[in-house]
Amino acid sequence: MKERVDARGLACPAPVVRTKEALRAGAREIEILVDNPTARDNVCRFASSQGCSSEVFEEEGVFRIAITRGEGAAEAESRPETETRTVVVLSSDVMGRGEDELGRILMKAFLNTLAENDSPPWRVVLFNRGVLLAVEGAEGVEALSNLQCMGVEILVCGTCLDYFKQKERVAVGTVSNMYDILTTMLSATNSVTI
Amino acid sequence: MGPGDLEKVLRLLPPSDLGRDILVGLDTPDDAAVYMLDEETALVHTLDFFTPIVDDPFDFGRIAAANSLSDIYAMGGIPLSAMNIVCFPCSLGMDLLAKILEGGLANIRAAGAVLLGGHTVEDAEPKYGLAVTGRVHPERVMTCLGAEAGDVLLLTKPLGTGVLATALKGDFLLEEEMREAIEGMARLNDRASRAAVLAGAHACTDVTGFGLAGHLLNMLSGNGLGCEIEVSRLNLYPHTREMAEMGMIPAGTHRNREFLSPRVEISPRLSEVDRDLVFDPQTSGGLLLALPEKALEVFEREMGEDASWALIGRFIENAEGLVRVLP
Repeated sequence: MKERVDARGLACPAPVVRTKEALRAGAREIEILVDNPTARDNVCRFASSQGCSSEVFEEEGVFRIAITRGEGAAEAESRPETETRTVVVLSSDVMGRGEDELGRILMKAFLNTLAENDSPPWRVVLFNRGVLLAVEGAEGVEALSNLQCMGVEILVCGTCLDYFKQKERVAVGTVSNMYDILTTMLSATNSVTI
Repeated sequence: MGPGDLEKVLRLLPPSDLGRDILVGLDTPDDAAVYMLDEETALVHTLDFFTPIVDDPFDFGRIAAANSLSDIYAMGGIPLSAMNIVCFPCSLGMDLLAKILEGGLANIRAAGAVLLGGHTVEDAEPKYGLAVTGRVHPERVMTCLGAEAGDVLLLTKPLGTGVLATALKGDFLLEEEMREAIEGMARLNDRASRAAVLAGAHACTDVTGFGLAGHLLNMLSGNGLGCEIEVSRLNLYPHTREMAEMGMIPAGTHRNREFLSPRVEISPRLSEVDRDLVFDPQTSGGLLLALPEKALEVFEREMGEDASWALIGRFIENAEGLVRVLP
């Protein structure tokens, strides 16, 4: 499927936003027209950040950028439907409501079991008090590090880290934003929320 | 407007009649004009206004006011009074305008100045800013010229507002993820200015639309002075690098780079993102200071708990007057 996007006359970041929409709609090849060098550079850089290759042709002041979805991107964005992408969402540092002391023990056991499981999740998302599991000295760090070594991506909400003033103390995972968290949750085939 | 276009237009105006009274006028690329009243007192005049950079009207008001007041601080002055400059489409509702003006007033008061009045024009897109009058002792005016080889270069706020504002516009970033940058832009340069005056800074300007490289070039007078900056020493607002890597580069960066690149020598070891950050247009950026190294201790003490400043480079002897950007 080849998608054409005419972004001539649009100022940044609109050309990148249009490219993002076309990629998300599942286009394998995109041809995007822009009319200024900033838009050209930004679209190419965005494509490469998404694991796509791009080629630029200039014709009378108009840049035609041919974007091809790369192998890596194809895998991340449009895996076959049969493959499961499990996302584990940790919105708290305790498991269950009631006794927090018990909740902390359960959470530790949950993470350890998750790290020993034969079919690890695709990604683990930590937000609200969940981010406290990933800071220096926290009981969750070891299990989360093991998961990360197995190729599981750990996304830690940056806004939450800021809120708890723990940004400097993150010990595992990638500090992430709401856009990535939302994309992760929307592209999950199933999700487990604790 | 880009630096190249502006220079072309300003060339058409006659130079300021520099005499006994006008200490700083049109002929230097300074942030504000300075007019001497008597041997003890000079007035500092400036104005600045722009379109919204964030969605929250109160925050926009605070940022626009801090940006306007900064020109007084960059000259080493103290703000006395301010007038509102407003362009506004009535269809947006008066509550919104009231919030913008409240935000502006909050920062005028924080600066110890008074609001005297203003002027409003109906326009398709909102714009807000201030005309500010300040005072300074004629012998203690800081200008963008005066740096000497060997001076250290300090920047008193992080960089990245151009990238972040572009990402916000494209919904790649939420306003709360930009909170640190919003608070940074809304912060006055008052403390940094006072610390610079007390430490005896040789030269000072503030970083705004022409980016770090553009405003730094304004500090190089051409008589054999150059400057080296180290990208690894730059403070960046959170998410700046990540958003720049996704192509959230504003058009102003390109304009700045195109015009300035003949005088900016960039190490080939730097990534494209690092190169772009040097040209990123800033809103309400920090002060850029040339300080004798031995005065660093005084400056640091005066800045106290404010740790957002960084030593980012050094002025050097350089016949071509270049800015050299190193990793």
